[in-house]
Amino acid sequence: MTETATHPAPNIYAVEEYAVHDEPYYLPIADEVQLFETAYSQRIPVLLKGPTGAGKTRFVEYMAYKLGRPMMKVSSRTGEEAEHRMPLITVACHEDLTASDLVGRYLLDTDGTKWVDGPLTRAVKVGAICYLDEVVEARKDTTVLIHPLTDYRRLLPIEKLGQVIEAADGFLLVISYNPGYQSALKDLKHSTRQRFIAIEFDYPPREQEAEIIAHEAGCSRESALDLARLGEKVRNLKEHGLGEGVSTRLLVYAGKLMSEGVPARRACQVAITWALTDDSEVQRSIEEVVTSIFE
Amino acid sequence: MTIIGELLARHHERLSGFPAPLEQHYEAGLRALAPRLTPSQLQSWAETGVELTALSLRSWEAAVEYFRAGTSFPKSATWEAIETLGREALQMAGESAPLAVSFLRASAPTMESVGPAHVRQWADLGRRLYKGNWKSSSLAAQFFDLAPEVFRVLRIGQASRLVLFIDELSRHSYELASACLSTSPAVLQRLDEDDRLPFIGFAVELAQSSWADSRLYFDRGSVLIQKVHGPVRERYLVLSAQVARGHNRSAFQYFEDASNALGELDPDDHNKVIELAEQLAPYSAYAAMDFVTSVPQVLDRIRIDELEPWHNAGLKILQSSHDGGEAYFRLQSTRGEDILENLSARVELSKVGEIMRLYCKALTGRNVSIQTAESLAEKGIGWVAEHRASTDGSTIFLPELMERFHEKDENFAAMKVFATHQAAHIEFGSFDFEFSRPGAVFPLRRVQFAIQRERPATTDMEEYFDLFPERQLASDLFTIAEDSRIDWRVKKEYGGIRRPLVRMQQEELPKRPDVRQLPLRNGFVENLVRASLDGVDAVRWPKDRAEVMARALGILKAVQSQESLVEDAAEATLALYEIAVAIPNIYEDMDPDQWDSVEPMESGQAMPMQGGESGGEGSQMQMGGVDGAEGEADYESPQEIDFRGDFQPELVDLLMKLRENAQMGEGGEMSPQQLTPEQLADLLAKSVEIDLDAMYDGDLDASTGMFMSNLMKEAGNPSSEKGDQGQPTSDNSTGSGEGEEPLIPIVTVYYYDEWDFRAQDYKPRWCAVKESKLEEGEENFYENALREHAGLVSQTRKQFELMKPEMFRKIKKLPDGEDFDLDAAIEWMIEKRAGVNPNEKIYWRRNKIERDVAVAFLIDMSASTDEEINKREKKYDDDDYDDDPRKYLSWWVSKRRQELTSPPKRIIDLEKESTVLLMTALETIGDQYGIYGFSGYGRDNVEFFVIKDFDESLDQKIKNRLDKVTPIRSTRMGPAIRHATFKLMETDAKVKILVLLSDGRPQDHGYGRDRTEKEYAIHDTKQALNEAKREGITPFALTVDRAGHDYLKTMCEDMGYEVVADIEALPSRLPTLYRRLTE
Repeated sequence: MTETATHPAPNIYAVEEYAVHDEPYYLPIADEVQLFETAYSQRIPVLLKGPTGAGKTRFVEYMAYKLGRPMMKVSSRTGEEAEHRMPLITVACHEDLTASDLVGRYLLDTDGTKWVDGPLTRAVKVGAICYLDEVVEARKDTTVLIHPLTDYRRLLPIEKLGQVIEAADGFLLVISYNPGYQSALKDLKHSTRQRFIAIEFDYPPREQEAEIIAHEAGCSRESALDLARLGEKVRNLKEHGLGEGVSTRLLVYAGKLMSEGVPARRACQVAITWALTDDSEVQRSIEEVVTSIFE
Repeated sequence: MTIIGELLARHHERLSGFPAPLEQHYEAGLRALAPRLTPSQLQSWAETGVELTALSLRSWEAAVEYFRAGTSFPKSATWEAIETLGREALQMAGESAPLAVSFLRASAPTMESVGPAHVRQWADLGRRLYKGNWKSSSLAAQFFDLAPEVFRVLRIGQASRLVLFIDELSRHSYELASACLSTSPAVLQRLDEDDRLPFIGFAVELAQSSWADSRLYFDRGSVLIQKVHGPVRERYLVLSAQVARGHNRSAFQYFEDASNALGELDPDDHNKVIELAEQLAPYSAYAAMDFVTSVPQVLDRIRIDELEPWHNAGLKILQSSHDGGEAYFRLQSTRGEDILENLSARVELSKVGEIMRLYCKALTGRNVSIQTAESLAEKGIGWVAEHRASTDGSTIFLPELMERFHEKDENFAAMKVFATHQAAHIEFGSFDFEFSRPGAVFPLRRVQFAIQRERPATTDMEEYFDLFPERQLASDLFTIAEDSRIDWRVKKEYGGIRRPLVRMQQEELPKRPDVRQLPLRNGFVENLVRASLDGVDAVRWPKDRAEVMARALGILKAVQSQESLVEDAAEATLALYEIAVAIPNIYEDMDPDQWDSVEPMESGQAMPMQGGESGGEGSQMQMGGVDGAEGEADYESPQEIDFRGDFQPELVDLLMKLRENAQMGEGGEMSPQQLTPEQLADLLAKSVEIDLDAMYDGDLDASTGMFMSNLMKEAGNPSSEKGDQGQPTSDNSTGSGEGEEPLIPIVTVYYYDEWDFRAQDYKPRWCAVKESKLEEGEENFYENALREHAGLVSQTRKQFELMKPEMFRKIKKLPDGEDFDLDAAIEWMIEKRAGVNPNEKIYWRRNKIERDVAVAFLIDMSASTDEEINKREKKYDDDDYDDDPRKYLSWWVSKRRQELTSPPKRIIDLEKESTVLLMTALETIGDQYGIYGFSGYGRDNVEFFVIKDFDESLDQKIKNRLDKVTPIRSTRMGPAIRHATFKLMETDAKVKILVLLSDGRPQDHGYGRDRTEKEYAIHDTKQALNEAKREGITPFALTVDRAGHDYLKTMCEDMGYEVVADIEALPSRLPTLYRRLTE
């Protein structure tokens, strides 16, 4: 009983109040940090392109943290002085995500119905960074919302309430997009994509990737280098049996397993080979690369 | 004297009536026998002879022979024997005088060979062949005539088996029996004595089961049996006889195949093989013989001591199912194939090629392809070694088989080491050499040696090797330096491969020749090879010359670093070469203890200075050659290293250059730049990598030309990556330019297993499906069909338009959605107010409904679809003309006219027209579809015609193809269905449908035990449909065969099928059916 009591209560935030508290680890590869800062200062919406697990989400978190750094002290509801941080609202888009999921809808209340703001509306109101992950997955009606928000107007129309909301000053829309596996059907429309500057993400070069793995997984530098090497080799197989190369995230997972004492070959098998594909021949090929690199 | 005279006188009267010789022989006989017989015996002998004369009209001839025999009896002939002879002769002559003549004529020599005691048995044998007619009598006579020879090779008991055989044969054919009999002494003569009886034993069985083969057996059998190891021949023949006993007509074939197979084996193994076969025989003699026949093939893949496990696994299958076991030992079963694969320790490139390809692609990041080393040698572009791994920069060539270890894993690891080394050449830039680019470790010296050239070198490698007067030496040193660099990099980069690689290196070392036996310069190079194999300890060198070796080793070591490039290997070669040419190639005659190991020098010290040792800054320098002083041995290249394969940098460089040119030529307007004849001649003269003599026979000019054209051909198609991923193999791809149809259709061959329901197993890779695009036919067929069925077309189109899904459908009563459904919300309110627990599902949402269907139509193009539809009705028309010729004539004329204007429809025509209708319907609805036809003859030739592939869109070309759908040959449905399944699986549709349109049961040559057997074909078809179903495809069979119900019920158990009884209804039925299938 006492044990349960020692569990700390989980932190629960309203979406617009959540901000990144601790500095996320992010290793800049090129000038993407400066670019994003500049874009933010000019309120230019940003499109992050790149394969899965290349660090897009981590980058947005890092930027949100970084942009909130010139800590404006504001008083919170409790009256205490608290650090102002850049709120970050992340919405993972899926194929059934409709405009009302973003804007808001009426919910039942004791005496009828009550309007509840959706995440996008909240972000617009508080001036947060709104990050729509894998935006092309969402239904087409969502783009209607995005358009007026991403040009000079910075407006969010709420049809059902008959309202238009001007975006708060801090608001910025960031979307991500993986050109690798979207079919032609789900390509981003030009009218949409031409409202963003695009920052391309790719897997980091071997040395940097090793550094990231070593940091994230807490494994040895040698193992990290081997993992990065493995990543490079496996990515060579893209489009030849593999839809997508191995992500840095998976390499980190493998590194974590290894640093906890799982034998290297086994760690790679579960974190990379089996995670990547079901095709037994491709699995076998990756396995051979693994056994070539790890003893 | 008295007794002879008396006997002569006594019978004179009776004998004088016959031609004169009779009495002469009588007298001679008497005289010859008188000394050995008593008077009474002699008298008895004479009386028997006389008696013979009287038996029939021509029996006096027998008497002549009887008397004549008397003069030549062997000494061993006792009175009993002679008496028996007489008795038998009398009896025989009573039946047939000529028989007796032959019998008696051969009696004396026969008695000599078989022994007098066996006269009676011998006579019995002959008599057995005699059946009372003249043919049998002449056969029996032939037997007697041949008897002396027969008994020279057979004992009497054995001869009885021979007679049994001849007798058996004579029941079918006297000619054959006679022919076999006449050759038998010679045939048997050729056999070892112990083999003769079993040989005849098999013949007897053969005569009973497939007598016609007896002659073949007698002609070839003796040669075939010699292939079998002596001590087991008898057992082998007994085994063969068991097959024949099963009344199998192909007993001789079994025998011949198995004998030939044994001939391929080591005679010492025969005993084991026969022993194993004998274990199978009680269950199935065929399986036993098939086992023997298959052994050589099996031993290609497993070792002799693994044969028994393979055999035992098969025996178990055989015990539970004869057909299954027989298929196993015929090597026609997938299960057998799997077991063999598991037992076999060897690794076949054909099985691991795809893994190796992806592996090498991962390592190099390039689209390398994998081929056998043999195929590289066949290309005739400079490589000659058929079993050594190599690469040409874009393809990696590996040995076809790896079987150096007893464990599969080890063999695979070895294959991987081979592949890794070749891939590493590509990955670490062995072929990216640039002449004037500095290395990372060594100072750049080679440019100072650059020679004056009349024309620029073709490749950088050529320019580099031109520096060296001793090209072979330079080439060998470069190979050592570069391979050493590559191995080092591999070990560094790929920790996991290190262990097998080191093992390979360790295994190479003891195989190296003894340095001390070599002339010095060869020894120097050999030492470098050892050092490159990580065997610096194995270096042996005369103590008094230790310094040069230490320096050389230091240089080699310097190449082994993370940074070093191919240019560093080139620089190291330069330095090593300078050392090597200075070493005389002489045999050092000294004490073994004068040789010692050498420690490599520090690489800093060993490294040559910028500018070299001789000559100053900027001056042109020249590489030294070998003086070739008195007493020096010729330089010889060091022994090859297996896992490193065949490294041909100059050739690869040339090839890559040519490819680049070819590509540039394709891109621009330039024609691909060819090598000028001078360049080529130059190359051939200089390069040590190209050895025309080893590549081609014939004169130099011809081989030069051939080499050139091969090289250009290879360079012309830079993407030598063929479409051989997986099964399909391109047969003949005749110039397929963009957008234009080739003259000869491209045929792609796919292999599929076939289900053998008896064995309950697949026959591996049994059927070859040849896919090709159907030719184009008349242009207006499609439009005509549409016009003819105009009403139906608009009707179906309408129906299908109705099916077209709404893109979104509003779904109500959801717990969550886009907005309230007003009705539901009001209801909720009311319920709440009324105090009832309200239903909270009050939202609606539009859901996307996607129709995602792919359908493959498989049209039966067998010959039977040629049948006219009206034929069946014709007989009802017969009555119309009431036997009135005029009426008939006018009926006929009108019918004829009708046929001319609109020819009678055949089944295939309706199949086609229905397809047209369906195509328009499908175009309306937007489903993906493919239309295919199939026919063929035999398992090697299942024709699969593409009328419309899934990724093709309906255009005039496809409409024209449809016209060419014509009845061709048989109906082997199974493989066609499997191929259509394969096609369907390549689409990404959610709903996949396979519609089979046929006019009858599956049928083909070899599709079952014989042409009339139906079960096999039906079972295979059923299995194929099941496979499709397992892949998530909905199969549907449609037949116009009225008798279709009986087999479709079996074939399409729990699957959809329909028999369209009224064929003419097919065009309207097909779209309706399709609609029902997909709704």
